[in-house]
Amino acid sequence: MIKKQFRVEDMHCANCALRLESLEDRLPGIVSIEASYRKGLLTVAFDEAAVSEAQIVAAVERLGYTARPM
Amino acid sequence: MEQIILAFITGLTTGGLSCLAVQGSLLAGSLARQIEQDLLPASAARGAQALSRPNTVLPILLFLLAKLIVYTLLGALLGLVGSFLTLDPIARAALMIGIGIFMVGNGLRMFDVHPIFRYFAIEPPRFIRRFIRRRATGRTDWFAPLFLGALTVLIPCGVTQAVMAAALGTGSPIAGAALMFAFTLGASPLFFLVAYLATELGARLQAYFLRFVAAVVLLLGLVTIENGLNLLGSPLSLANLTTSLRAAGEVSAQPAAVAAPGADRSAAAAVTLELRVLNNGYSPQVLRAPANQPVTLALVTSNTYSCARDFVIPALKYYRLLPETGRVTVQIPPQRPGTVLRFACSMGMYTGRILFEG
Repeated sequence: MIKKQFRVEDMHCANCALRLESLEDRLPGIVSIEASYRKGLLTVAFDEAAVSEAQIVAAVERLGYTARPM
Repeated sequence: MEQIILAFITGLTTGGLSCLAVQGSLLAGSLARQIEQDLLPASAARGAQALSRPNTVLPILLFLLAKLIVYTLLGALLGLVGSFLTLDPIARAALMIGIGIFMVGNGLRMFDVHPIFRYFAIEPPRFIRRFIRRRATGRTDWFAPLFLGALTVLIPCGVTQAVMAAALGTGSPIAGAALMFAFTLGASPLFFLVAYLATELGARLQAYFLRFVAAVVLLLGLVTIENGLNLLGSPLSLANLTTSLRAAGEVSAQPAAVAAPGADRSAAAAVTLELRVLNNGYSPQVLRAPANQPVTLALVTSNTYSCARDFVIPALKYYRLLPETGRVTVQIPPQRPGTVLRFACSMGMYTGRILFEG
């Protein structure tokens, strides 16, 4: 399992963080997600064998946000 | 009764928007079921779109119902506490300024002026966010809105805090509960409308609408800071600055109040200034009094129901709730020439001052 941070600048309220965190229940291989609207950060702990960084970025994009790996 | 009606009208006019600015994130959490819809796999989502949009009316109503109940209970508690103590006007002023800054910060955050203003947003702790999400996926859809509506009691907005202070001032659990109930009920229609439109409007319209809300929140924040400054008796408030400018070009507002020249000290103690406390403020707004001698300030009310009768002289730490009709006197100790004694209502909305001249 690895932990990675992504910059998500286009969250515009605390609800956006909640939406992004819901990926935790939806995307296989995600162990935990913490989204911070204040910091514009998404911290994802995931299993590399089950999900890739690119898949996470794509899932975030499907929700209408842009994630840039840090 | 008048105070309860006033609280309802305050809620109806400003309470909804200012509360939404502070508590909006909790409401957003209560609409988590919508989030789940957003996250359906693409094929399922297409099917879901064929159905009607998720119902946001019920969660918002449940949220507001829970809010109404907890704030009514809070009002009762405040009224009970108020029967034991009174809130110092200076503490209230500091609270108002703090809340005002918070609201301005939220307004600027909503305008996306700079990422630093995001720190004004209240984010529920992670364990609560996770709890909400998990509950929202279950069958108990009603739970999250009710739970989060109840949580709003932890983050009252600026206008709410002012009404809470008034509830404290009632000194009665029943009156306190009635006041908070009336205010929260009054705030509900606007809260509902804004929340509903925010979730139902198209993205483009929503952006315009949220900008409008941001502008109103910013304005309310500035007004709250202004009222706090007035309550502190600060010369920097807009009302006091404009009164100073106006007074500079005016002849004495009440020259008759000054003691006759040559009068001895004991006679001078009889100098009385009369201030009419009206529903829309104080008259005259500027009083002139002789320096270096005691002065009696007579506060005259006549069917006065507004907050003007919650009279405060910050520098003297004087606070009194005046009768609706009557005459109350305040003994002002001798002041040095040039002293400006400011007075205000306990909300900081109405102001005035006494100039002491040598």
